[in-house]
Amino acid sequence: MANATQGMGYRRYWITWFFLLAVTMGMLLLEYVSWPQWILLAVLVLAMLVKASVISGYFMHLRFEKPALILIIGAGLLLTGAILFVLLALDASRVNQLSVR
Amino acid sequence: MSQTLAAHGGHAVEAAADVERPPLGVSWQKLMMWTFIVSDGLLFAGLLVGYGFVRIASASWPNRQEVFHLPLIGFMTFLLISSSATMASAVAAAGRADRRATVRFLLLTILGGLAFLSMQAYEWTSLIQEGARLNANPWGVAAFGASFFVITGFHGSHVLSGVVILAITAWRMGAGKSTAGGVELAGLYWHFVDLVWVFIFTLFYLI
Repeated sequence: MANATQGMGYRRYWITWFFLLAVTMGMLLLEYVSWPQWILLAVLVLAMLVKASVISGYFMHLRFEKPALILIIGAGLLLTGAILFVLLALDASRVNQLSVR
Repeated sequence: MSQTLAAHGGHAVEAAADVERPPLGVSWQKLMMWTFIVSDGLLFAGLLVGYGFVRIASASWPNRQEVFHLPLIGFMTFLLISSSATMASAVAAAGRADRRATVRFLLLTILGGLAFLSMQAYEWTSLIQEGARLNANPWGVAAFGASFFVITGFHGSHVLSGVVILAITAWRMGAGKSTAGGVELAGLYWHFVDLVWVFIFTLFYLI
């Protein structure tokens, strides 16, 4: 069971920690940047997905598991969440337009 | 006849081996933990998508810079990321059969979790003192309070249960009763809690 963790030094985890911290700082600093809203949104969502991938890949060792397991978990979570959001966002947008009228 | 019986016995042994061989190259315990993580993750996905619906459907939404103390939230994020790093180090130490280092890193992880919970409690207290409730808040959008308390409360309960699981794991490791696999399973749960916070931090506090 611990095969994925054997031979892995602490150094890898602390590099991952530093990277996550740097991305988080960057996301917080976006508060003080006056970019168009859609760019800020895209950058924040992208940074969020990068952090999630790094945590699941390196801390949870998913990167070292079989591709089938990665696909099942990725499809189970990200794809389902994205589909759910897109379908409901369309409806929410319609509700917003109705309430504005 | 004995050859037929031997053939049937051989098939039975093969079938038993197929049942015991774990699929996808991981142990049954790890596979079940991943199954739990996916199902719990979909629960959070439902909550966050519901929040997204309410927010997009609302004509207005409270200005997050007026409501939240972003330096506090940033520090809470730092704590959880750091606790994930110490947890990963505990799993690595357990893989090397270094019991003392494993317990040390587990205790550091627990400390990070408790500090996060304290800050979450402080944030809740300050918002409640300002008048935020499940069904009302001073910022004019009723759904804001419910979204905030349900999502962060649900996540906080996961952090609390994670702290309890880690405390038990640390005690068992200290007593020589836990295996590296057990530490790894606890680690998967803790990293999942951190993973969920990545989404909550971005979608609720920054966007």
